[in-house]
Amino acid sequence: MHGISDCITIIHGRNGCHCGALLLQTLGSEQNSVRVLFSGLKSSDEVYSGEERLASAIRLADRNFSPRVVAVLNCSAPVIMGEDVEGLEMLLEGEIEAELIAMDTGGPEGPAWLGYEEALSQLVSRMRTKEVEPRNGINLLGFKADDFCSMGDLNEMKRMLQDHNLHINCVMSCSDFQEVQRAPHAKLNVLLGGDGLECAKAMQEQFDVPYVAVPYPYGLKKSLEFIETIAEAMGKQADPQILEKEKERIKKTVERAHMFFQGIYSMPVAVIGESGRAFDLAEFLSDELGMEVKLLAISSCNYVTSEKIDAINSPNLKLMIEPDRHDMNQALKDARVSLIFGSSFEKRIASELSASLLRISYPVIDQISLSNLPYAGFFGIAAISENIINSILNRNKEEVRA
Amino acid sequence: MQPDELDLISRDEAPILETMRSIYSAIPMHHLAAIHGKIAGAMIVANAVVDALPLIHGPVGCAFQRKLNPFTLSSTFYDSPCTNLNNVDVVYGAEEKLSQAIVESYERYSPKLIMVITTCTTDLIGDDIGSAVEKAKEKVGCDVIYSTGDFVGKSRPVGIQDSLYAMADQMICREDVPRREGSVNLINSPTQRNAKKLQEMAGLLSQMGIKINKICFDHTTTKDMMDLARADLNITGYRMSWAELMKKRMDVEYCQITGWHRYNQKKDPETISPYGLAGSTRVLKEIAKIMGKEGEAESVIEKNRTAVQLMLKSASKELQGIKVAVPVGFSLNLLKDIGVDVVALIYRTQTLTHGVTDRAIQEIERANLSLAEIYDYHPELLINPTPQEELKTFKRLQIDLVMASAKIAHFYNREGLRTVDVNDFTQTKMSVGFLPSLELCRVFREALGKVRMRSPLLDLMEFDDGISNLTPHWAKIAMSFHHLRSSKFKQSTYYHFQGLAGVALNEHNI
Repeated sequence: MHGISDCITIIHGRNGCHCGALLLQTLGSEQNSVRVLFSGLKSSDEVYSGEERLASAIRLADRNFSPRVVAVLNCSAPVIMGEDVEGLEMLLEGEIEAELIAMDTGGPEGPAWLGYEEALSQLVSRMRTKEVEPRNGINLLGFKADDFCSMGDLNEMKRMLQDHNLHINCVMSCSDFQEVQRAPHAKLNVLLGGDGLECAKAMQEQFDVPYVAVPYPYGLKKSLEFIETIAEAMGKQADPQILEKEKERIKKTVERAHMFFQGIYSMPVAVIGESGRAFDLAEFLSDELGMEVKLLAISSCNYVTSEKIDAINSPNLKLMIEPDRHDMNQALKDARVSLIFGSSFEKRIASELSASLLRISYPVIDQISLSNLPYAGFFGIAAISENIINSILNRNKEEVRA
Repeated sequence: MQPDELDLISRDEAPILETMRSIYSAIPMHHLAAIHGKIAGAMIVANAVVDALPLIHGPVGCAFQRKLNPFTLSSTFYDSPCTNLNNVDVVYGAEEKLSQAIVESYERYSPKLIMVITTCTTDLIGDDIGSAVEKAKEKVGCDVIYSTGDFVGKSRPVGIQDSLYAMADQMICREDVPRREGSVNLINSPTQRNAKKLQEMAGLLSQMGIKINKICFDHTTTKDMMDLARADLNITGYRMSWAELMKKRMDVEYCQITGWHRYNQKKDPETISPYGLAGSTRVLKEIAKIMGKEGEAESVIEKNRTAVQLMLKSASKELQGIKVAVPVGFSLNLLKDIGVDVVALIYRTQTLTHGVTDRAIQEIERANLSLAEIYDYHPELLINPTPQEELKTFKRLQIDLVMASAKIAHFYNREGLRTVDVNDFTQTKMSVGFLPSLELCRVFREALGKVRMRSPLLDLMEFDDGISNLTPHWAKIAMSFHHLRSSKFKQSTYYHFQGLAGVALNEHNI
């Protein structure tokens, strides 16, 4: 919901829920557009109901921020209490300018990825279509604006697509609400890394928009597959000359530091991340950089995770799916890796193992990206490669414990 | 930790540590745009005991979010095991799951203490945490306690107070504890794990013949916590419910360094602050009286205070008469010690209104003005001034230094006003003792050497007129938060932070 740029999100829960959600956004690289409020739920409301307080919070948000949409996320306590947040939509209809979207997001209901899929699906009911308007462009589903380097990645994907006259109609979720409402005007839904499947299915059923899953475009092969799959699904052919130019550019990049590329070949690494990203990243690292991915830990699944597991063909790879952190740390110790691709939460284990940490997975709360350099796409190869190489070169050997 | 280990701590004083703290200082936490929940407070305490392990009894999302440490954003709670509650558990209860999780956590992590922390889910479904813990205790070789947030009423911060109370109630307070007579515990906040801050105080008390039993929280173990019961006196930084319990159950006396209780006895403004030469003298004498060491205390205090006063004479030479603007709340005692002239007092009351009555707000003002008078200061009092009002006054008064945190220094620097940031001093050095006055001299002297006029890039941005360290967008978020959590919140009236004062905003102004 926070990815919708003119949406205010109200956390209907206790202080801690709101504090955590606010911090996760504020510690990123978009501090100027944090839009998270809370309903002010107090312990007495758990007895007498917090619906009135929530209604007041919605009115306040509407007046103070004039958002296009207010998203209410019902946390654990109100879910258990049985707060009728959907009923509030009817109550406040006509009273507030903003459109109201409410959903239950209680902790016991499941992990974050389910909430993400459900939230995207909720948006389908708000979409509108004008029959007279011809369909054009593609929607990108499964984009997460609070991922590290997300804006850089998105810019690169847009650039890559534009080079082949493929235009983006809407990004979910990184658009304004009007763009989301116009999502059915696209010719095709593109699922990044398989994220957003339920939303895509719903849109196909309701609006007859087909969908295709593409890899998250890390590296050359995945970027080519990204472009070619989309182009084919749109009834076009990717321009081979442009692709050849991209390859040439990458070749020059590699040439500039080729000795270091040779030096990191066979380096043992671990990848920890969400299903929609980590599988593709691991493949890029192994296939194109020649690294030995010893451990792949999927911190968060999606609806196509099982297919991706089946597709793995690497006997040396230890695969863990939503592992217990203690078990994962043990596996990291056993894997004896030099570099961990993970989140900020891997900082301590990386330090204990004297391994370098390249922050690429959610959440990254101790590094920012202002330069908007991508990690994905053709341009992303240079950025990610230089960070990998530098993470080894700039280590102080004397600090590394035996 | 053991007091004789103080000298062995190789505390890394590298400047980067201060920067790692201050880089997050502009993020509006701490009741400005968010409040940390009780779980965060409990995690702080679990983390402060080096061989303890928190166990969150709740859904996996709570454990994920609570890895973030809102008290110290540069730190992370890497270990946050949880019972991973799902909808089935909500319906049928999760006591068995909790017992199993305690055993599993013990087997994996081998802690000396497991602290079970409940969440709103488990609080609502009414799990009998106590019996689940008792059941699990039979199967593990460590202490197990639980914190629900319900033990300490309105004591703040709830999570910290409640978990420490739980520790005292369920573990520390027990029978047949061999006492260490004539000894005290020095207890800092678990958010400030810095025994060096208490080093001078420990030394002074030792000179008086008062033994130091334990210093918390720095390399504090579960055994250290258990041994707290051996002392005669707990000396805490602020009011701690658990220390009150230890007094009641274990007859361990309790002395609270900060707070308004001394002032409330006789309305003596000199008792507001426990710091500086005068404040520290009073507190040390108070402790000596409790421990029956008044005679010894006199000579020790006199000797050490005189030595520092001599050093202060030369250290504070260039600070004499320097005109300073100071926020109400900072120890005027310390400023008196270093010889500056407090010509402006800035009193911001907005963030006080949630926990403090209007009468108390006025009393604080009165007490500080009275103390200023005793110290021969004649400051101009600014109550919730707008940034423009501040600047106008400071220029008129020809202020040399504005006491302001680094996050808003740019605002003053562009107007040619130097600032002094005492945040790090307050966090790491301000304590009972005589040396902090010398340290404050150094901080002020350094500030005087800084560039007076700058053109910061931050000036390209627009900041809010009312809450000047926030952009207008963030000021709206903070304002919304303030209204939403207020018991005075009414739907049809909105208050705008006008220099952090409440000013009603008319409909047509929105």
